Amino acid sequence: MIEARQLSKRYGDVHAVQGVSFEVGRGEVVGFLGPNGAGKTTTMRMLTGFVPPTDGTAVIAGHDIFSDPLAARRAIGYLPETLPLYPEMSVRSYLEYVARIKDVPRRERRGAVDRALERCGLAHVARRVIGTLSKGYRQRVGIAQAIVHDPEVLILDEPTVGLDPLQVREIRQLLRDLANPRDGQPQHTVILSTHILPEVEAICRRVILMNGGRKVVDAPLAELTKDGRSLDEIFARETARDVTAEPLEGAR
Amino acid sequence: MKHVSSVAGRELRGLFVSPVAYIVLSLFSLIGGVFFTVTVAAFNEWVFRLQQFQAFDQLQELNLNEHLIGQFYQSMAVVLLFLVPGITMGLFASEKTNGTQELLLTSPLTIWDIVLGKFLAGALFVLLLGAVVAAFPALLFAYGDPEPLQTLSGLLGVVLVGLTYVAIGGFASSLTRSQMVAFLLTFVLLLVLLILPAIADLDVAGAGGMGEFMRWLSTESHLEDLVKGLVDTQHLAYFAVMITGFLVLTKASVESVRWR
Repeated sequence: MIEARQLSKRYGDVHAVQGVSFEVGRGEVVGFLGPNGAGKTTTMRMLTGFVPPTDGTAVIAGHDIFSDPLAARRAIGYLPETLPLYPEMSVRSYLEYVARIKDVPRRERRGAVDRALERCGLAHVARRVIGTLSKGYRQRVGIAQAIVHDPEVLILDEPTVGLDPLQVREIRQLLRDLANPRDGQPQHTVILSTHILPEVEAICRRVILMNGGRKVVDAPLAELTKDGRSLDEIFARETARDVTAEPLEGAR
Repeated sequence: MKHVSSVAGRELRGLFVSPVAYIVLSLFSLIGGVFFTVTVAAFNEWVFRLQQFQAFDQLQELNLNEHLIGQFYQSMAVVLLFLVPGITMGLFASEKTNGTQELLLTSPLTIWDIVLGKFLAGALFVLLLGAVVAAFPALLFAYGDPEPLQTLSGLLGVVLVGLTYVAIGGFASSLTRSQMVAFLLTFVLLLVLLILPAIADLDVAGAGGMGEFMRWLSTESHLEDLVKGLVDTQHLAYFAVMITGFLVLTKASVESVRWR
């Protein structure tokens, strides 16, 4: 469903991401971990087509992000780090607009919006103006815009940041629902970035850990923690080495 | 290009839920009313004096289009310079502060969808301002006998100047995150465009070619001819070049976000 091939991003002399490759199959839920500045956001931005990789490419639901960018973007629902909301719009009209620019056909738009509202628990605030909503509700609107076109791939950049514990629980429950099979079919393939480790343990079955722009761990959660180590320890060990400043040999 | 209307529709709705659109519309109508009244009064004064001095051949030459409507159009084009930046300042800058730029650029839209959609929204607003301008000379048809085609050609001139300002304002907005900076930058650019002929007249450049070019670059001479009723392809080409040029620059500027 998602295939990253040697993704690299360089800003001037800084290698934000270096040669990251991985594959995520249909219906998988992957936790994307790493300290700040590890390259998680940059990797997600490359997958979603917001920034092009300096090197390498990615294939989303069978569409290469370079040769068929519009089809690749159509297949993705994306929650960026900063919520992409228009404060002056009502929740419903905002979601209708997002559905429209995500190529949901006119006749299906209303149903798609209703479904997203319901799944994110927003039905009762559908007519409210986004700017007047609390942080937790705005976060839900952010998730609703990511799922409104029922994308095959969901990419969520820190979906629970800045929420209180109760809201965090609600959002996690929502994410678990999104990942659960519907009618026996796996629905969304999810990549979820976070630095809250319990979140990964609660939702994801596989972990990709990044540090200094490289992928350092890529394994099923069960395998990582089978000898009794906690995710905490693994995280600490793998990110202890500071590789941020290390120049990549032979890099173009 | 199928999403030009999606982007334009949201933009227009955004404009009309904020006070900016209403402030601009009411200020424009108010200033238009004042200018029109003043111009009519001045015209009356002329007629009165010429009659007093029995200067009948001059009275013959006095005409509504040249001495009243034309003056009014040119004043209104100057008013656009102050108000259009208020409309265009948020076009791209607000997408950056809202974080919605990331939504637009990760949706199946082309950059042209975004740029043309924003321009279309601004252009429709300018047409609304054009309708306000048109209302005043329309009154004259009830009392006098203006030349309809010349009146329309001048109106076309004002609208084309407005569209050019929208293209320039959109470009300025795409360069910054701050609406304030976008406003000031647009204002300065339009002001420079306005005073170019005056600079050319100083003849500091020395060479005649440069001065010619500066005069061509300014909207002034083109608007002047359109107000006189000279709908020359040369002038239409000028506006087409300016608008297209700034749209292309805007597209490059929006796209550059990806490469930063």
